[in-house]
Amino acid sequence: MFPVLDLGPIAIQASGLILLLSLMIGIWLSRKFAKNLLTNAEAIENGILTGLLAGIAGARIGFLLQNPSVFLNNPLSLVSLTPSMLNPGFGLLVGVIVIWIMAQKKHLPLWPTLDTISPLILMVFCGFHLANYANGNAYGLPTSLPWGVQLWNTLRHPVQMYAVVLGLAALAGWLLQTRGMKQTGFQKSGVLFAIVITALAFITVIIRAFAAEKLIFLGVDLVQMLAVILLIGSLYLAYHRLFNRRHPVQVFVSLGSNLNPEKNLTKALITLQEIFKIRRVSGLYRSADVREGQAGLQFLNRMVELETLIPYLDLQEKLKSLEREFGREPGNKNRVPLDLDIITYNGEVFVHQGKNIPDPNLTTSLYIAQLLAEIAPDFRHPGTGQTIPAIIEQIDDREQAIEKITEVENGTTG
Amino acid sequence: MNKKVFIGSGLTLIVLSLIWLVITPVLYPGVQAGTASAAHPGFRVPGFTLETPQGELITLSDFTGQPVLVFFWTSWCSVCKATMPGLQSAYQDYAPDGFALLAVNATSQDALAAAESYFQSQGYTFTLLLDRDGSVARDYQMHAVPTSILIDRNGIVTDVVIGSGMSEGFLRARLDGILVTGEGE
Repeated sequence: MFPVLDLGPIAIQASGLILLLSLMIGIWLSRKFAKNLLTNAEAIENGILTGLLAGIAGARIGFLLQNPSVFLNNPLSLVSLTPSMLNPGFGLLVGVIVIWIMAQKKHLPLWPTLDTISPLILMVFCGFHLANYANGNAYGLPTSLPWGVQLWNTLRHPVQMYAVVLGLAALAGWLLQTRGMKQTGFQKSGVLFAIVITALAFITVIIRAFAAEKLIFLGVDLVQMLAVILLIGSLYLAYHRLFNRRHPVQVFVSLGSNLNPEKNLTKALITLQEIFKIRRVSGLYRSADVREGQAGLQFLNRMVELETLIPYLDLQEKLKSLEREFGREPGNKNRVPLDLDIITYNGEVFVHQGKNIPDPNLTTSLYIAQLLAEIAPDFRHPGTGQTIPAIIEQIDDREQAIEKITEVENGTTG
Repeated sequence: MNKKVFIGSGLTLIVLSLIWLVITPVLYPGVQAGTASAAHPGFRVPGFTLETPQGELITLSDFTGQPVLVFFWTSWCSVCKATMPGLQSAYQDYAPDGFALLAVNATSQDALAAAESYFQSQGYTFTLLLDRDGSVARDYQMHAVPTSILIDRNGIVTDVVIGSGMSEGFLRARLDGILVTGEGE
């Protein structure tokens, strides 16, 4: 136990410092993760910090609502900077509600956002238990094992440290799964989050056995029971996100060509219509080839919204084989008879073999964003919730002049 | 991820957890603090006998049946001095209900003269005690001042607060709870 850290003239309460550090590290990790997943790092960070402040304010208000005489006796106690007079349950409720409201306002997508904050959840879990160890709270059962620690006049299981060590192991596993925060490792958002919750719930079930203070309900420790329920719930969530019933998913595919473009793109559209259900088609747009050293070779592009039942990897394979049928030479990037790019897949956010879905060019290239604007004006970026007009405004378009050259007869039937 | 592998591992986790849940109360029943003593919520408060500056001996167990606040402080501790007026105010209101406030000066880390003159100059009416050799501070594992230990009418510790947390408002709220329900929370 080490409730206070003596730093010469200043003594700092260790538990507060530990929680603060774990929060800061967790937010930093989430930020880096967001940058790789292409989710909205800034909105998430703002949401967490605001939620934290709101939670603290809520905890104070909750305490004073419970003890109105305190407030009536001294109204200044509402803003008193003392770290007491806080109701944690109420504070948590207020914090969560505020975060929920902010996420809704920013149109943050639920599952990608939860995936993004999974490292924060892991860090706070470890920090919470380490803070308990510092305070001697949630202490363990007496034991004579060689690693028992002296606490409250008895040798005890360092149960809080069991949680910290297992939590850090879970964090290490998370780093492995995400290959150093580069991806979630799943092609469905929300699975990584569910797996993290499962791991932490399982750790809680294990270590609660060694806690001294137990709340017995229906013959078992209540916290342990809630952890088992949470474990079952999160496993079901992971299962549902990974293997739910197949229904047709929405995919935006970008078609491009700079070799016999008009002929190839028309043929490509007909071929796609034979294989997939096409919902919307944009007009044909001409742009200059934006790649270096290619000034002059004009690309024609169009955007297509299709519906399909086949999984992402199979779709990618299919589109690649179509490109080859049209004569695309694998090494040749200058003369492209047909280029088919998956821009979004079912509104999912993931990274596969270094390739981001949604395609990062969505937010950097007009030949994608402008065409999406035509066929899907209500579009929102699956990772950040941004609208198309907002995306287009951010694009530096000095070299990306594009112009529409044809309307399509029945393109935007929807 | 293979569906069969997922379902297999998932069910294994669930079954292991349920088994552990059920055998925990048998293998590792919880232990209430009971009669063990320590300066931590839920435990019986460690007893002591200390001297007032006038030489009178005060024993903590004499106060069984009354809520007690043991407040460790020193004269050089600015947070202690900021907290004490609030404690005085609460003491005045709750002393008629039997509330006892024992301000234990950590004399082994303080100058006795400074502590006494400070206490008198403020006109505090609660009890000043002197932990001359630091033995009580050790028993209570006191790490920093101020440390406040609130004890209910059964001699069980309800709160241990290091620092400024034992504000007047907080103390009043906790005393209301102890005096109304008769138990610490």
